[in-house]
Amino acid sequence: MFDFERGWNLSFAGCGFLGVYQVGVISCLQERAPRLVEEAGKVYGASAGALNAAALVSGACFAKCCTDVMDLAKEARKRNLGPLHPTFNLVKILRNGLHKNLPENSHELASGKLCISLTRVSDGENVLVSDFSSKEELIQALVCSSFIPIYCGLIPPSFRGVRYVDGGFSDNLPQYQLKNTITVSPFSGESDICPRDSSINFHEVRFTNTSIRFSLANLYRLTRSLFPPEPKVLWEMCQQGYNDTLRFLKENNLLTLADPSVDLPLAERINEASYFSDDGKKPVPHCRQLEEKAEMVKPYKELLGIQWPLDKRVVEKLPPNLTRALQEACKEKEGLYSQLCNILPMRVVSYMMMPYTLPVESAYSLALRLVDWFPNIPDDVCWMQEQMQIVVGAVFTRARKRLNFPQRKSSKLSLRKCLSLPPNLQLYSRFLRCKNYTCSSVDMESWFWETPYSDTSGKQTVSQNQISEAASEQICLVNSDDSGIEMNFSSEDFDSSSEVSAS
Amino acid sequence: MANGDFEEFVVANGGSGWLSSWLPLWCPTSMPLLKEAEERVLKRIASPHSKQHVLISGGNKIWTLIFSQTFSSKTPLVLLHGFGGGVGLWALNFEELCQNRSVYAFDLLGFGRSSRPQFQIDAEKAENQFVEAIEEWRLKMGLEKMILLGHNLGGFLATAFTLKYPSRVSHLILVEPWGFPERPSNADEHRPVPVWIKAVGAMLSPFNPLAGLRLAGPFGLSLVQRLRPDFKRKYSSMFDDNTMAEYIYHCNVQSPRSPAPLDCWDWDAKEEAFSTAGKREVFLSGETAFRNMTIPFGWAQRPMLQRIDQMHPDTPITVICGARSCIDGNSGRIIQSLRPNSYVKTVVIRGAGHYVYADQSEDFNQKVLEICNSVD
Repeated sequence: MFDFERGWNLSFAGCGFLGVYQVGVISCLQERAPRLVEEAGKVYGASAGALNAAALVSGACFAKCCTDVMDLAKEARKRNLGPLHPTFNLVKILRNGLHKNLPENSHELASGKLCISLTRVSDGENVLVSDFSSKEELIQALVCSSFIPIYCGLIPPSFRGVRYVDGGFSDNLPQYQLKNTITVSPFSGESDICPRDSSINFHEVRFTNTSIRFSLANLYRLTRSLFPPEPKVLWEMCQQGYNDTLRFLKENNLLTLADPSVDLPLAERINEASYFSDDGKKPVPHCRQLEEKAEMVKPYKELLGIQWPLDKRVVEKLPPNLTRALQEACKEKEGLYSQLCNILPMRVVSYMMMPYTLPVESAYSLALRLVDWFPNIPDDVCWMQEQMQIVVGAVFTRARKRLNFPQRKSSKLSLRKCLSLPPNLQLYSRFLRCKNYTCSSVDMESWFWETPYSDTSGKQTVSQNQISEAASEQICLVNSDDSGIEMNFSSEDFDSSSEVSAS
Repeated sequence: MANGDFEEFVVANGGSGWLSSWLPLWCPTSMPLLKEAEERVLKRIASPHSKQHVLISGGNKIWTLIFSQTFSSKTPLVLLHGFGGGVGLWALNFEELCQNRSVYAFDLLGFGRSSRPQFQIDAEKAENQFVEAIEEWRLKMGLEKMILLGHNLGGFLATAFTLKYPSRVSHLILVEPWGFPERPSNADEHRPVPVWIKAVGAMLSPFNPLAGLRLAGPFGLSLVQRLRPDFKRKYSSMFDDNTMAEYIYHCNVQSPRSPAPLDCWDWDAKEEAFSTAGKREVFLSGETAFRNMTIPFGWAQRPMLQRIDQMHPDTPITVICGARSCIDGNSGRIIQSLRPNSYVKTVVIRGAGHYVYADQSEDFNQKVLEICNSVD
């Protein structure tokens, strides 16, 4: 079913904190079908998907990454306002985590293989970046791809001098339309590797190429993508990613490709499992229960000769180091302070104190952010100025268009038909710069030659030839951008005036 | 139509409708708009074809598209579209499929440009109404035998038809069929869903599947374009504008008031407007019937897998699935296990989602042609 001859790509959807799902997916791919990962032509990713793709391509340790993601989620959940609390600096944590986890030569490994989806701020177009000259640049691209405006900050980061925001806004699942792209998305829908929900509603939504089915589970996932759930739920998602991948591999008969060398970690895993089950204190591994259930259900099903479509029950364990990382993350803090914080009265008090504590915390975090921002200030200020200019310019042109439209009409008419110009033209006299302003079309050339046009020609007095030359073409006397009034003089108008001046 | 009927209609409509008919339509759609959108779709099909309303019992009409190959004695292929679709969705497939055999496609009763009668509330009776409509249509068209291809709801109905009239179907092709598996009893057992999500679910369950689209009114069309930009891409080889989205929109958002009785476009539709005016549910009839055949969320009330073993063992079945589809691809394997002595084959098309025939039309056409050639 899967065509190895023609090559294949991997594409990871952006999904915020649900990136843990993809951690499960990747760990399964690495363990069970390493060829699929190693020989993939390109690895695409947007947002959190790009982070995972980068970690995959550069061979970072996924257990460590997973720990960091879980820590990040816990950090985001720590405060009353969750990730919206001002002290939660996602970009900074992300940057530090990437510096720590990506190997030094990651840019070399990533160049040409990793494609990061970015959204250009200026025109909203999608950009795929796939060459990186340094690790710093790779990290910057990843930060750009994960930057959700307002949620992460106000000023979008720049990559090679161009401002970008989250790739999910323009293309959340790059190159999904290719037949040989293996798409990975934590939202149930039309992706190769995605959760299969129990609802079989076939209505779906496409959010910049990511297919999201109308289902309650997806609604829950969407709300959790930016506001992370409890670590246990994240663990479950990671587990589900692993299971879904396994199912994908089974369906496509890709499991046979596994290297013989993977037997070793498999054996280890069994030990690991027994170790955890011996250790009574640990939270009950969720999968274990399920597996038992699956075994109970199995013979019954075989009796019927029916394999029910929802093979969620085919449950395998995550790789040992990943399981350990997740378990660490799920462990409750045992200190007296944290226990004290968790009791209801304390939490109520903390909510009630928020109006007082929030300004202080905000001021503190603002100060910290300012310090961090310091090296970038000149660039960012320049950029903001440009943006302001663009915005103000746009508003101004629009307003002017609306206000001037009827006037322009009348002024044109009056130039042709009347002897005297309407008085409202005086508004623009500073652009026309005429000394003895006479409101007659007969004297028109006298103020015509004092416009910027005549300045550039550098001549105050012009011979008849030149006038006729100038008159032969349609001249826009005063640029509409400069004066707000557009005056098109047809050659007819000029002929008459030039004759007058000649005489 | 008799004069008396006309007056009756005016009276019936006058009481409630004379004021509302002056107000602009909330949903900018009507049968003529659907007709126009469909014509734009079909214009791009180069193969010669004819279209007609086929009259069946109960005054209902089935909108039919015929690609006839007069000199071919091969078994004709009949295409049944899925929920919320219409004949136009097969636009990428007609030309290839009709090369050496006749191809018929029609709008299911209650969908597209076919009549929208009142369906029975009972799931079994509603299903039967659909099936009988297919059978009557077959009789009218004079088809001895056919290769029946159904997508989504069409797949379900094609199976139901084959169960009832096995002698008429020489090969059953199910493309991403809906309504096969049973709802698992322990669906959400081990995933704790927050209460508010459950509340939302409970709130939404009484509505028709596409109620949101009608609620959106004038924004509905842009909603379709915004939420399903993939349709534009799927059909981009044929249309570079939003023709398909418009067609789908008009197929699904027919409102009760839309066929204006006084400036009618053709007699057929006029008659239809008279016979159905005033009944709100009527214009959503296919959709309502579909809802009556389901239990939350999207599962069939009378799943096919419970009945498929009663199918005549000589009827060959091919199930075509998209590799990325969310409708489970296991159905084929289960059908196989339930009919151990019959021909059942599953074809998975890579890179395709639920709309297999549009996502990877070339692969799909090739597979279907292969199947058809295996018949005769």
